[in-house]
Amino acid sequence: MGDRDRDRDRNDKKDARKPRKKINPLLGAKNVVIDYKDTALLRKFISDRGKIRSRRVTGVTVQEQRQIARAVKVAREMALLPYAGSGR
Amino acid sequence: MQLRPYEMMIILDPEVDEKTVGPSLDQYLAVVKNEKGTVDKVDIWGRRRLAYPIKKRTDGIYAVVNFTAETTTAKELDRQLGLNESILRTKLLRLDAD
Repeated sequence: MGDRDRDRDRNDKKDARKPRKKINPLLGAKNVVIDYKDTALLRKFISDRGKIRSRRVTGVTVQEQRQIARAVKVAREMALLPYAGSGR
Repeated sequence: MQLRPYEMMIILDPEVDEKTVGPSLDQYLAVVKNEKGTVDKVDIWGRRRLAYPIKKRTDGIYAVVNFTAETTTAKELDRQLGLNESILRTKLLRLDAD
């Protein structure tokens, strides 16, 4: 039984091509309120060109990603964050 | 009609004297008080660099106001501020939304 378990583990590892990077959801502490005024926090979720980083990169939950995207867009309207492409 | 909590961010023209910002904001917010709303908090951030120019200005004086008012009052305030030449931009958000 022990052998079979080990075999399965090995197979699983082989099949799992991308060993799921389990990225830290950056927010560290849970239940952080995502606010458009908190530009220091939002800057972590935009590229140096001002684009919103994808969830694949940020590793946050769907719900958080939506809040972030909305907050970034509001912040852009109020000139707290740049629009993508502006600059360089 | 129902009173609702709102937050409004205002960007003022950097040409105006920063000392006069408080009093002039009070004057603009008089509409809220006259229409049985309350102004809960006024936070003047002061001068801040804009991420991109607005009306050829590279700086702006930011202020965030929390108030409770009826929808129509909030909209009226937003309209009046939009007409004001010394205000570059406003953003009205309802705090109890979503």
